Order: sequence, then C-alpha cells, then structure tokens
Amino acid sequence: MSSSFKIRQIRIAYLFLLPAIIVFTLGLVVPLINTFELSFNRLSMGSRWSDRDYVGLDNYERMIEDDHVRSSVGVTLRFAAIVLVAELVIGMGLALLLEKPIKGAAVFRTIFILPLMVSPVAVGLIWRYLLDGRIGLINHYLGQIGIPAQTWLGDPNLAFFSIVITDIWQWTPFIFIILLAGLQALPAEVLEASRIDGANWWQMTFLIKVPMLRSILLVTVLMRLIDVFRALEVIFIMTFGGPGRSTQVMSLHIYKTAFTSQTLGYASTIAVVLMFIMLVLSLFLLLFSNPLKERADF
Amino acid sequence: MYRRIILVALVAILLVPMTAGVMAQDMFDPYAPYRGDTIVVSWPSLYHFNQAATLIPQFEEETGINVEVDFLQYQAMKPAQEVELQKPRTGEYDVVAWVVFTKSEYVINGYLEPLANFFVNPALADPSYNPDDLVQAWTETGGVVGGTNAYLPGPTQALYGLPFGAETSIMVYRADIFEEHGLAVPTTYDEMLETAAYITENVEGVYGMTSRGAAGHQIVHGWLLHLSPYGGTIFDENWEPAVESPEAIASLHALKTIMENSPPGVEANGFGDQANAFLQGDSAIYVDSHKIAAMTRDPNQSLVDGKVGYALHPKVGDAECGLSETGGFAMGIPSNSANKEAAFLFMQWMTSPRIDRQLALIGADPGRVSTLEDPELQEMFPEYAVVVEQLECANPNWRPLIPEWGALNAPILGVYVSEFATGNMTAEEAMAQAAEEIRAEMERAGYYGWSSMDM
Repeated sequence: MSSSFKIRQIRIAYLFLLPAIIVFTLGLVVPLINTFELSFNRLSMGSRWSDRDYVGLDNYERMIEDDHVRSSVGVTLRFAAIVLVAELVIGMGLALLLEKPIKGAAVFRTIFILPLMVSPVAVGLIWRYLLDGRIGLINHYLGQIGIPAQTWLGDPNLAFFSIVITDIWQWTPFIFIILLAGLQALPAEVLEASRIDGANWWQMTFLIKVPMLRSILLVTVLMRLIDVFRALEVIFIMTFGGPGRSTQVMSLHIYKTAFTSQTLGYASTIAVVLMFIMLVLSLFLLLFSNPLKERADF
Repeated sequence: MYRRIILVALVAILLVPMTAGVMAQDMFDPYAPYRGDTIVVSWPSLYHFNQAATLIPQFEEETGINVEVDFLQYQAMKPAQEVELQKPRTGEYDVVAWVVFTKSEYVINGYLEPLANFFVNPALADPSYNPDDLVQAWTETGGVVGGTNAYLPGPTQALYGLPFGAETSIMVYRADIFEEHGLAVPTTYDEMLETAAYITENVEGVYGMTSRGAAGHQIVHGWLLHLSPYGGTIFDENWEPAVESPEAIASLHALKTIMENSPPGVEANGFGDQANAFLQGDSAIYVDSHKIAAMTRDPNQSLVDGKVGYALHPKVGDAECGLSETGGFAMGIPSNSANKEAAFLFMQWMTSPRIDRQLALIGADPGRVSTLEDPELQEMFPEYAVVVEQLECANPNWRPLIPEWGALNAPILGVYVSEFATGNMTAEEAMAQAAEEIRAEMERAGYYGWSSMDM
C-alpha cells in the first residue's frame, strides 16, 4: 500500500467523521464549556448572556457551605447504589431465567421490557396514582389484606423507598435485555466444554458466564450509573424532592436552582460538580475493567 | 311629473351621502383602525380561561380584530412566554396572562408595557370601563408594581396588568354533615380545628379537613393561607425574615393539625389532590381558593353538589376578620408586542362590566364587584356573597411578590415547612434554618445594601 494512498484513506476517514464532530462540538462541547464558564458567573433567568457578572469562586464557596447540595449528593449516591445493585441482581436473574428456550419465553421477554417503552413522565404519573395515600390502588389492596393505609409519598422513608421501587420497575428491563443478548451471544463451545467437564449450574453461571459477560456488564452499569445521576422526571412528578429533602436528588436540585430560584450561575456550579462526580465514578469503573482496552491500538 | 321624480331622486342622491357622513361622525368606531389585525394571546389551560375563550368569536364579530389563543398547561406557560418576551424585536405574544407572583419578575426584566400608556389615550380607553369597579385587592395583587415594598400599592406604583381569573380564599364546608351532627360553622381557627378533629373522629369515612402538603410551593401555599390570618408575614418592614415570629410558629402548628385531620397522603397533595379529597366527599372542610365553588357544581368531578356551604376564611382570636389570600392570574401586554393597541382593546373588552357578567354566567370567575354583587347572579352562585364580603379582608401582602420569591418559595420554605410537617424538624428548628437561608438569598440580591450604608 503506497503511503499517498494511506494518507488519502485517512483524509477520507476524517471527512466522514466531520459531520459527527460538528454535531458533537455544537451539541456537547460548547454547552459544556458554557456551563463551566457560567459556574464562575452570576446570571439570572431572563437576563442576556452578556449580562453575566463574573464572581470568581463565590459560587463554589457557597456550594461548599450549602446544606442542600450536601444532602442532595447523599440522596443521589444512596439512590444510585441501591437501584444499581437491585437492578443488576434482578436483571441478571431474569436474563438467566429466560435465556433457555422455555415455552412462552418470547411473551415473557416482551412483557418484561414493556416498562422501558413508557415515557418517564407517564411512569411518574402511574406510580404517583398507584401510591396515592387516599385513592391509590396499592393502599386499596393492602387494606383488603388488613394492612393499614400507608402515606407512601408523604413519609420521608417510604417516599425514598417508592422512588427506588419505581426506578427498579422501569430500568431493570434495560439490564435484563442487554444481559440476555449477551448471554445468547456467548460461544456455545465454551459452555459445551464446561458441561462435558461436569460443571454444575452455579459453576457455569458464576465461573463461566458472568466472567465472559464482564465487559457487557460493565458498560451496562456505566450507562445506568450515568442515567441514575440524571434521573429527574419521575422524581419531579412523584415527590418533587419531598417530603423535606428526602428524595431531592442532585439533578432535581440543579433544576430547582436554575428554573425555580432562577440562578443559572449557581446551578451551573452544581452541575459541574455532578459532572465531576460522574466522571470520577466512570473512570473508576473503567480502570477496574476497560472493555475498550483490548482494542486500544485501534 | 317626470321632472319632479327626477328632482326628488337628485335630492335623494345628494342627501344620502351627507346623512351617511353625519351618521359616520356619530358612530365613532375605536376598533376601526385595527380591523383585520390578529393578536396572539398566551393563556393557561384552566377552566376560567377555557370558558373565556368561548367569548372570543363574539369579540371578533364586534370588533373585527382576530384573536388566536395559545393555551398551555399553566406551569409550562411561563417558560414559553419567557422565550417570546426576551426577543429583542417583536415577540409572538400580544397579551400574556401570568400567575400573580410573576409580575415583579416580568417588570424588572422589562417585559411588560405600563397600562397607563393606553388608559390615557381617549381613542383607546372606553369611558364606560369603570376601573373603580374592578376588585381592588385583585388589581393590586396581579397588576400593580413599584409601590410600597415594590409589589404593594403606594405613591410610586404603576399598573402593568388587569386581574383576570383571580381568586381569594374562603371556607367551604359540607353543610349536610354539619347539619346532621349539629355542628356550628366555625368562625375562628380554634373552632375550625376543633370541628375538624370532631369530624375525623366521629364521621365514618370522612376526615375533618383537606390541605395542600407536597414539598415545594404547594405546602408553602398551604401554610401562607394560615400565616396571614395569624398575623404573620415572611418579612418585617426592613426585609428581615420574620418566619420565626410567634405568629408564624402558631400558624405552622395550625397547618400541622389541619394535615393530621386530612385524608392519608396529604403530605403529597397539590391543589388538585386536596380539592379532589373534598369533591369526592372524603373531607368536610376546605380553606383555599374560592374557585372550588364552580368545581363542586361540575358533575364530572364532584359528588358533593348541593351539599356544600360557604363561609368566611376563619379569623384568629378576636381579629375583625380572617386575612385571606389574593392570587390567581392577571394579564398584560408585552413590551415587544407588535399590536399593543389591539391587545389593549381586547383586554379592556374582556374585563369590561358587560363581559364580566357574561363570564360569570358561563361559569368563569368575574373580576368586578358589580358582578359579584348582582342579586340574580348571587342566587345562581351562592359563594359570590361570601366572596364579596371576604374581599373586604383580602390581604395583598399575604405573600411577598418580589422577583426573589421563586428562590425563597419552593427551594427554601418548601423544604423546611415540609421538614416540619413530616416530623423531621420542630417548627422552631425549621424556621431558624429557613430564616438563615432566606437572609443569605436576600443579601445576595442586594436588599441590605442601602441599610448598611452609613450616611
């Protein structure tokens, strides 16, 4: 292959990449830079970009002392840890259960992924009414088996529990569907060999399948992690962060700071911190096991 | 003979245009210059506005001005308006409606046109408009900016909006339950809380009260309804937070007792949920916007039609009356509207005495004293008599309508009132925290700059 041909090849590759780079720059890089810049400024809603006041590190100082930010970081981390573990365990369990061609597997698979297709706003409304203290179906059925009505969304602990359950309900199918695809793509020879060697179900699952799924598992966890940190709509509708601050996740706090308090600069500061936390967690996960590592020379 | 006919015909031909000319002079038409123009109105999709929209064909026919209404869910309306109002040249909207607490923010951002510009123009201002007849408390709350404390009437005030779809708080109760149990209609908070507890305990399947309770602006609204009659305010006259005052603490305890006597789930209630609890017959007493009266008559949402009574917002101790809320909506004209005059004519028409009465007849909320006092209408809508009396005691200062209110309302008070109501904090702890954060917010906004100057 001549070198001029190679150069031309590379040029063409860049040419094809260009549209993606333009979209990426306009849609992601520019807003990110703006957010970072705004975090050092004061700007209220309704003012022009040019009216922003540079305030140095004021916003960051304010944030360090801000009790609301601290509590929202705590709520977010607790929420993320609980839902991720629960969704991973349940999703994996379901995938293993429906991996084999059992009768009606297609029907079950379709039913299990239905929650994924519902828009988060509708999910929020559905669960808000199911869990309603006065007219909710859940209290109605609990009442029929003699359990007194609970104020699901009105009690700080129950409200947190409720948003956890809702998230698990909606997002376990995501993990399930990806792991199911992963399981089905596992090389049959390896499984066959392990079976001949006399491996039992537990050994096959935890010593063969799970290690082979590691890359897929990691990407799934990473995507969910990022998603959980952005979760807003469902909590917005179900509790609006209440009672008190018991369900106020960071994204909701940022929303309120930006659009209710109308302080865009300070909201950007918290957004930068949220981004930083996500970056650290993602890097940690990638360091632990990078699915792209083997192809890093590409 | 023919000659005479020809003469008469000639005279007639001469006279007709002259008479027409004279008639044209008598029939001055203020709408004529704007005939054929189209104005765009931004309204919330709420019952009052939906009903008002049914009168638009009549306006178009009478004036020749075309109207397009952009209905949006009321919380989605403001962001949509802001996009248009910020446009440096012409925005899409010619008339915008706002929730009263938005007024100062819109004015400080330069979004609105002072209405004096139109009321001084004899070609636009209808002499029969009678502004004295507009409910004063509603005009002040929804439309007046720049007076005392920047949002109350005062010598430096200016008018930016006319009340449209405004409200005050009254007490609505289940007359059938009260009668059956021989209960007197409460006039004070103590009586009301006592009656509520009695009903919760003694009436099967019915709770004494209903309330808003969801964290954020809902629970704050629920609390402010009681803070005002208890004599409390959010700020003192120097803009120092007054939420730790004994009045404020007492009103918080009243809110808690009300919530304890409300159906389960009250801690997550918005306005709709608390209204439904009453409309479905699960609650016996409701104290909030008088707009629920029309809802009780709607068979699609009410099981209590014909069973309700109306009374004044309860008072505290031996006060003269219970200082009720003033809220709801007002409408005005964006500074960047291209059709300001036609927009004014539309607003003037919609809020005129004649149309106000028509609005009442189709179930919308009137904004004029004469409509509320109309004996025929009072017969049809029994709450009107109570509303008129309550308006004497309506308090435009029940909630500070400063541009910073958004930052204090849901993000600070909405958290701490909820922390108290759900038992995480005592009233004193919650309000101490709230006061500290409110002060910091006010300081950032520059409220204490002048008082700290040594002059």
